[in-house]
Amino acid sequence: MTVSELVKKTGLTVINEYKDREIESVYISDMVSDLIASAKPNSVVITLQTHKSLIAAANLAGAAMIVIVNGRKPSEDVVALANRTGIGLFSFDLDSWAFAKKLVHLGFE
Amino acid sequence: MGSCNHQWSIRNARHGYCVEEGCFECGARLSFFSAEPRPPKEEYQEGRHFWAYRGSFQTVKFDLQCRTCGRIVDLNDVNGLMLSECADRDCQVGALVRQQGPDSLVYVAVCPDTSHPTGKCVSSEGVEALNQYFNARLAPIGRKVTVVPCKLCNSIDKCRGTSIVDVGLTEIQ
Repeated sequence: MTVSELVKKTGLTVINEYKDREIESVYISDMVSDLIASAKPNSVVITLQTHKSLIAAANLAGAAMIVIVNGRKPSEDVVALANRTGIGLFSFDLDSWAFAKKLVHLGFE
Repeated sequence: MGSCNHQWSIRNARHGYCVEEGCFECGARLSFFSAEPRPPKEEYQEGRHFWAYRGSFQTVKFDLQCRTCGRIVDLNDVNGLMLSECADRDCQVGALVRQQGPDSLVYVAVCPDTSHPTGKCVSSEGVEALNQYFNARLAPIGRKVTVVPCKLCNSIDKCRGTSIVDVGLTEIQ
């Protein structure tokens, strides 16, 4: 499934211009530095963090998209950095578990 | 690093704190990794320095191991990574940042003693392995990073960038 397909199926709010890619894995963490060691390339990262370091770490991990939960929104400088990397930034109104359940229903394991 | 075309993977990942201290006599700064449940905050004297706690961040440290030849690169001398946005005309890192294409970013590998009184910084072997590790992950998606040691910065303490650290997570009770 691609990023744009997942966006359509889950009703995510699109925050930036992103590069559409095939999604291969999922990682949930609110610890930004943990992404470097644990998130896999082409992953969906689910987090409530909105700091710029989130993009710096997700870029090193090769993440495809970031879903920011609980309706939180990043600042403009964070969006600008995400645009440079091509990583998709999205907002989801409910919490991490609610989005994780949607992914499971869509066949992610 | 020999004839092996290294295929690096992360090993020995450990969670802890990057603790920053400053000498209130001479203004020198240092940082170290602590795997203690809470970061140490005691003041102490060491030679001519009087070290005092300045702050701490949660972070993750790791080493790299080649899946092909088994070689291990110890990254104990890397206290963190910082995405550089250096605009200093006289800084080598700033020059590198300006040279990057749209698909490439520069990261600084930060060593424990950023004032570099002994000239020691992150090892060249560590910097090379980090570049190979991250770029092997990013190449299939058409992206690239350049990792450089912090000794290339004019002043890492004044450098513009985004450090990959976690602040305040343990304060959430």
